[in-house]
Amino acid sequence: MRTISMQKNLLLFSFLLIPVLLLLMFVLYPLFELIRISFTDWNGVDAQQTYVGFDNYVKMFTDSSDVWLSLRNNGIYFIFHLIMIPLELAIAVVLDSKIRASKFFKTIIFMPYIINGVAISYMFAFFYSPINGGLNGILEVLGLESLIQNWLTDESIVNLSLVFVSIWRFSGFHIILFLAGLQSIPQDQFEAAKIDGANSIQNFWYIIVPGVKKVLEVLLFLNVVGALQVFDIPYIMTQGGPGHASSTFTLYTLETAFKFNSFGMASAMGITMLILIIVLNGVQNKLFNLKGVGEE
Amino acid sequence: MTLRLGSAAKKLAVYLILMLICMVIFIPLLITLFASFKTAVEIGSEFALKLPASFDFGNYQVVLDKGKFLQGFGNSMFLVAVSVVINAVLGTTTAYAINRFDFRLKKVILGLFVAGMIMPGMITEISRFTIIKNLGLYNTIWAPIVIYAATNLVQLYIYTQFINGIPKDLDESAMLDGCSYFKVFNKMIFPLLLPATATLAIIKAVDVMNDMYVPYLYMPSSSLRTLTTTLMYFSSSKFGSWDYLSSAIILVMLPTLVIYLVFSKYIFKGIVAGAVKS
Repeated sequence: MRTISMQKNLLLFSFLLIPVLLLLMFVLYPLFELIRISFTDWNGVDAQQTYVGFDNYVKMFTDSSDVWLSLRNNGIYFIFHLIMIPLELAIAVVLDSKIRASKFFKTIIFMPYIINGVAISYMFAFFYSPINGGLNGILEVLGLESLIQNWLTDESIVNLSLVFVSIWRFSGFHIILFLAGLQSIPQDQFEAAKIDGANSIQNFWYIIVPGVKKVLEVLLFLNVVGALQVFDIPYIMTQGGPGHASSTFTLYTLETAFKFNSFGMASAMGITMLILIIVLNGVQNKLFNLKGVGEE
Repeated sequence: MTLRLGSAAKKLAVYLILMLICMVIFIPLLITLFASFKTAVEIGSEFALKLPASFDFGNYQVVLDKGKFLQGFGNSMFLVAVSVVINAVLGTTTAYAINRFDFRLKKVILGLFVAGMIMPGMITEISRFTIIKNLGLYNTIWAPIVIYAATNLVQLYIYTQFINGIPKDLDESAMLDGCSYFKVFNKMIFPLLLPATATLAIIKAVDVMNDMYVPYLYMPSSSLRTLTTTLMYFSSSKFGSWDYLSSAIILVMLPTLVIYLVFSKYIFKGIVAGAVKS
């Protein structure tokens, strides 16, 4: 007869074996491999892997300016999405207030996040296109011909054009997260504030902002990860061009690996990105003093 | 909460801003939708927001004939179906084991899951690629399936939260009635988790259908293209002009949009639970 403890062990073994194996094989082992390969000159094909120490890491930042250019572009995505966060919170507050058709607006605003990202990228390539493109057509009809641009081939604006696509796609998601945060704020806090005679600006700073602190923390983290990992929008719309003007760090990393077969270098870049994510997120949390307040 | 919008002017401003946002969202979509019914000549000569002269599905016909989008749809659906099932089985069993039992190595295993959750997926692709190749999974439909199953940690986390909401007394009284742990799981936990499973299945379906990176990297073979990668190849084919391409774009957008409009309530719930995971 099976005892309870045998039964328990059997269950744990059968329920956990596969997920743990999958995790080890496809998530954690690749991470260690990545660290190891980053210290070699492996080309991804040959069996030969020579240990080269920190060469890849040094070369990455000294050999070509493209890495810095790509990182700067990631910075552009990061900053613009950061600027959008207060606006997104404001829109969430409006949607949460008792306005008519708020459900309708909510559904529309979130919709871009659900749509296929590759299809969105092609759609905007069409929208920005210099021949028959919708945007230039609209500017013409509005009598704003002077604003007509080569949205995707002009080095000085291509990144802004791409950042707009990213904002179009992800802002709705952020707004919905803020909405969820707002709805978790207990109603009596507002009633108490009302009795104390608080105005809506005071409500905003003393109830709403602390109330969505957790969402804010998540969003700031997602923004770091997201901005560093921007890939599909530039890859589909410009291939990082013209030249490397709209390349991003991920795009450059994957190019290094799969186009130029420098797996060693690409691995070093991957590890660098992981470190950047950890460091930037740490700095950000310190700056906004989120952890300290959150523990109250 | 209620934010008092005092004057009528304020209210009007709010609606204007919301309408403006909706316009920004809809204009590129409408332009593409209209273009999908226009000929190349009409696209070249007409204002982009002008309604098409007729809703002629000729472009769609060409796209479906030449673009193999039905095959792509089939592959995407296969990936969705398998991933959703794997997800439901692995997610519920793992969450049950982790949430209901104490055991040696529990901390280690939890740590592994957390580490996996924090790690951004794309960077490990460089080394994961070699592993997939060595396992002989490269250029088979199983490559995305194992990767989706292995990187499903956020959903696992949501399952753990849901299971936490099921009182442990229920398990215990079932055990007193002579149920084994397996029976408790099969007869009670799994059915009670079904609403969560439904939500997570919808989210998973959208994720899998919209994923570009994994199928693009691991399944270059033309017969294995998903809806997304089919669009990528179609755009660089000789049919990649805007009249056909806009029809293709709309076709690829449709499945997830339909899912969204039908199940938006579940999607909101699942997405929010997944993101606010700390």
